[in-house]
Amino acid sequence: MQLRRAPLALGLGVALAALPTHGQVAEVDVRTQVFHEPSATSRMTVYTPELGVSARPTDGTRVFASYQADAVSGASEAIKAGPLLSGVPDIVSRASVQDYRHVASGGFSLERAHARLDASYTYGTENDYRSNAISVAAGTDFWQRNTDVEIGYSHGFDEVCSLAQGNLPATLRQGLDSSEGCFTGSERVEALDISLDNFRVAWTQTWTPVFTTQLIFSGGLQHGFLGNPYRQVVIGPTGQAAQEHHPDDRSRAALALALKYYARGLKTAFGLSARGYRDSWQIQSVTSELSVERYLFPWLTLLVHGRVYAQSGASFWSDDYTGGEPSYGPRGQYWSGDREVSPLKTLLAGGRLEGTWRADGAGRWVGVFRQVSAGVSFDLVKTVLDDFTWAGQLPDDTLVMLPSLAASGTF
Amino acid sequence: MRTKSRWGRQAAGARAAPRLIALVLLLGSSCAPVRPEQRAILADKIMRFGADARARSALEHALENREGSIGGGSVQGGGCGCN
Repeated sequence: MQLRRAPLALGLGVALAALPTHGQVAEVDVRTQVFHEPSATSRMTVYTPELGVSARPTDGTRVFASYQADAVSGASEAIKAGPLLSGVPDIVSRASVQDYRHVASGGFSLERAHARLDASYTYGTENDYRSNAISVAAGTDFWQRNTDVEIGYSHGFDEVCSLAQGNLPATLRQGLDSSEGCFTGSERVEALDISLDNFRVAWTQTWTPVFTTQLIFSGGLQHGFLGNPYRQVVIGPTGQAAQEHHPDDRSRAALALALKYYARGLKTAFGLSARGYRDSWQIQSVTSELSVERYLFPWLTLLVHGRVYAQSGASFWSDDYTGGEPSYGPRGQYWSGDREVSPLKTLLAGGRLEGTWRADGAGRWVGVFRQVSAGVSFDLVKTVLDDFTWAGQLPDDTLVMLPSLAASGTF
Repeated sequence: MRTKSRWGRQAAGARAAPRLIALVLLLGSSCAPVRPEQRAILADKIMRFGADARARSALEHALENREGSIGGGSVQGGGCGCN
């Protein structure tokens, strides 16, 4: 039923946005990104097309709607084992992955002279996951628009499909082998709830005509099944595997500071940001990013950026759970095959070219658009895993290529 | 010597946070404000935070599959295998 409502809501949003009302300014935005991770054993490719539309039916009002899809194909490890089982043949099994995710979103903004309010609803679905999220944000500016403060909150109520296993102890629970029967009422599987609450406070301050900063504090609470229902982890020295078992609660907090400075002599904008993060799983991370952006021509901008990220592992992380951890210790209570909770670093480098063309006077491009822009970007992300192996073998899927194309038109 | 408990330190921190924010805002406001006619550069898209929100969102969508401290919002799959 929800599946039928999502396209309806999206269609309604698009129709609203397209209403030929007085004073309307509308924008359409299309984008596609490819996530490609080459590997001999567990390659992954994700195509992400996206369409967004927005319109201002009246002064101070904006409505928007978007649709995004992920088409996932590749192969992934279904069982995680550590180095102690490196001699056991086929202890790490791999399975092909084919999935589609659809996300529809719609909302509105109300804007007054110095205040604004945004509200939106997002619905996501895939074979084994359902997601609903409502978001609200309010902001205001003051001191001649030199200070801007915004607060936002979102609540998500999701469901993930897992094998129906009653009250089996965690050590005996098995991973889902396929999404067959998910969300159909089948007794083979069950839907497990996840709730997500996120809030953020942002303060943007202009200091000089060429220098501005933004400070963001964000936090989140997650509750429910927070693992991957398919993934199994070897927890016994003889190869006994159980479904990945993460804590049911996770609270997260992050503080980020970003600066932007325009060097008049170089006609270039420099951006610098730093972010610190900590959560109740004891993952701590720091991120720093540097960006340089300038106009090559009055209609063409070039952005080059680099990013360094480092995180510690979760308190319950281990590359091998067969060592007989005490059952009351973090590695005895929980086990994970997710390299996202292991200590790691990522390095990112990339760039983007974006052209913008405005029609002269009252003219329009192709008789429709007042302004058209198009961009192309490419990023490389290298992951350095400090303590993660597939039964002693270092993963080779640690380089991600991210090409993307985008275009938008205002009419 | 008596030391503050963890709760005590957290409570003191919670009381100090609004004062710190107010102080920083006051300091910010005490700088000579940038007048509207001086905002040409700040209004350009290469100087605006969030001007590339869609591109940023797409990049974070990819990174949240490879990092443990990004994302955590909603609408992310549990079983696509890209985690």
